[in-house]
Amino acid sequence: MKQFLQIALGILSAIGGFVDIGDLVFNTQAGATFGFELLWVVVIGVIGIIVYSEMCGRVAAASKRPVFDLVRERVGFGAGLSTLIASEVVNLLTCAAEIGGVAIVLQLLSGLPYRFLILLGVIGLVVISWVLPFEWLERLFGYVGLCLLVFAVAAIKVHPHWGGVAHGFVPGVSSGNRLVYMYFVVGLLGAALTPYEVYFYSSGAVEDAWGLKDLRINKITSIIGYGLGAFLSFSLMIVAAVLFLPRGIDPQFLGTPALGAEAALGKIGLVLALVGILFAVGGAAIETSFSGAYNLAQFFGWQWGKRHRPSGAPRFALSWLVMFVLAAGIVMTGYDPVKITEYSVIFSVVALPLTFLPILLVANDPAYMGSNRNSRFSNVIGIVYFVLILAIAVSAIPLMILTNGGQG
Amino acid sequence: MTVSDGEFDLGLGVLDHQLVDRDGRNCGKVDDLELTGLSGGEPEVAFILVGGNAWRGRGVLGRLAAALSGNAVRVPWSEVDEVSSVVKLKRSAQELRLGRGDDRAARLVRRLPGA
Repeated sequence: MKQFLQIALGILSAIGGFVDIGDLVFNTQAGATFGFELLWVVVIGVIGIIVYSEMCGRVAAASKRPVFDLVRERVGFGAGLSTLIASEVVNLLTCAAEIGGVAIVLQLLSGLPYRFLILLGVIGLVVISWVLPFEWLERLFGYVGLCLLVFAVAAIKVHPHWGGVAHGFVPGVSSGNRLVYMYFVVGLLGAALTPYEVYFYSSGAVEDAWGLKDLRINKITSIIGYGLGAFLSFSLMIVAAVLFLPRGIDPQFLGTPALGAEAALGKIGLVLALVGILFAVGGAAIETSFSGAYNLAQFFGWQWGKRHRPSGAPRFALSWLVMFVLAAGIVMTGYDPVKITEYSVIFSVVALPLTFLPILLVANDPAYMGSNRNSRFSNVIGIVYFVLILAIAVSAIPLMILTNGGQG
Repeated sequence: MTVSDGEFDLGLGVLDHQLVDRDGRNCGKVDDLELTGLSGGEPEVAFILVGGNAWRGRGVLGRLAAALSGNAVRVPWSEVDEVSSVVKLKRSAQELRLGRGDDRAARLVRRLPGA
């Protein structure tokens, strides 16, 4: 019974934690630009994050080694340091985008000035991260983030053409602008397969002291939690396809998805959507700043982890504080958080291969894994996804330039 | 030190692995190894090099990082207790002059409330 409860709670927080600002921006824009045509891409992205999260959770449970330990051990100092730098740039940009998202939602709720709310938001996030233990952080943001389920209700309430929705799950090539379509394919995959989710998930597994007995929880949480989380992405895209595409609304503002919930469900829909977005992006801001600190500490071999007091892992604590400060500095410049989000997602795609390769190698290494090595099934999917990731990593930046960031 | 039987790959099994002291504290990585007996005799690992200019043998970025930092700490191989997925040491980090960056940062962090 206790284990059942633990699994259920893990699933709930995975669903609530699935969506971040990258998913909000790319799913909404994809729906508003191509209707239901890109739904299949979300399915591919989610299967990928399930496969790699399960793998790195299993590696963490079996060997107690988090991802960045493995990156360094497997690709060496030089390539490891390049991966570290790339991943830190992406973590920082993503954290900045999420903080911008927090400030925008607070502004919509309160009407106070944007820069003041950036400060307020960051101070709030820092205090919460400093005070709450790891488990509570995960749960607070995961559970309240479940308010985003309002989008699933909205997606039904807007009465989409279900035949069209079903058709969107069949991979195809668009009749519209091919390059822009490809840009959104890459962006949606990048939003689903963000590297920080992998860093955070595996470090979190070590924080929670996972052992072999937790392998089942790992499997169920990653498959069902992320699988159900994908329904939030579908819902965002469907709502945007029904409400924004016919009216020619280009959702260049983070508040736009919430308006979709309002149109379908009235004021209560709007409030639930805003609270859900606030906690989803706030939680992601914490995950990205912590990922920055996890990666640095694991690369250089420092003490790390929220399970220690800040003075017990001091460089780790200073690192995540500095991440928050730098990220807040970036949004304070007034640069549009939606634009920062697009850059962070596209650059994160470039950093993915060097993150995923060591996981795949170590998950097959009996010295680390004993009898819990990858099954043939995991390997086939893992390799297929690795090839896919390489392809999108190579095409991401050219596509962003050629399509002017999806503007055509 | 004890390792499993058979051949042992220093490059994969030791280099870049986590150093953990007697009390389970993370205290750096195996940044490089110093070997003896390379010209005649049995090659043997003499020292583990940690931090600072130990990175200079590790590619272009390593040379750059080494130029910006101080001297490496040399830990005699005889201080190694066990090699598993981590390299476990026989003594505390402090005795081996490891983890000093964390010690310095701790003095700063302790001034913050709730640390």
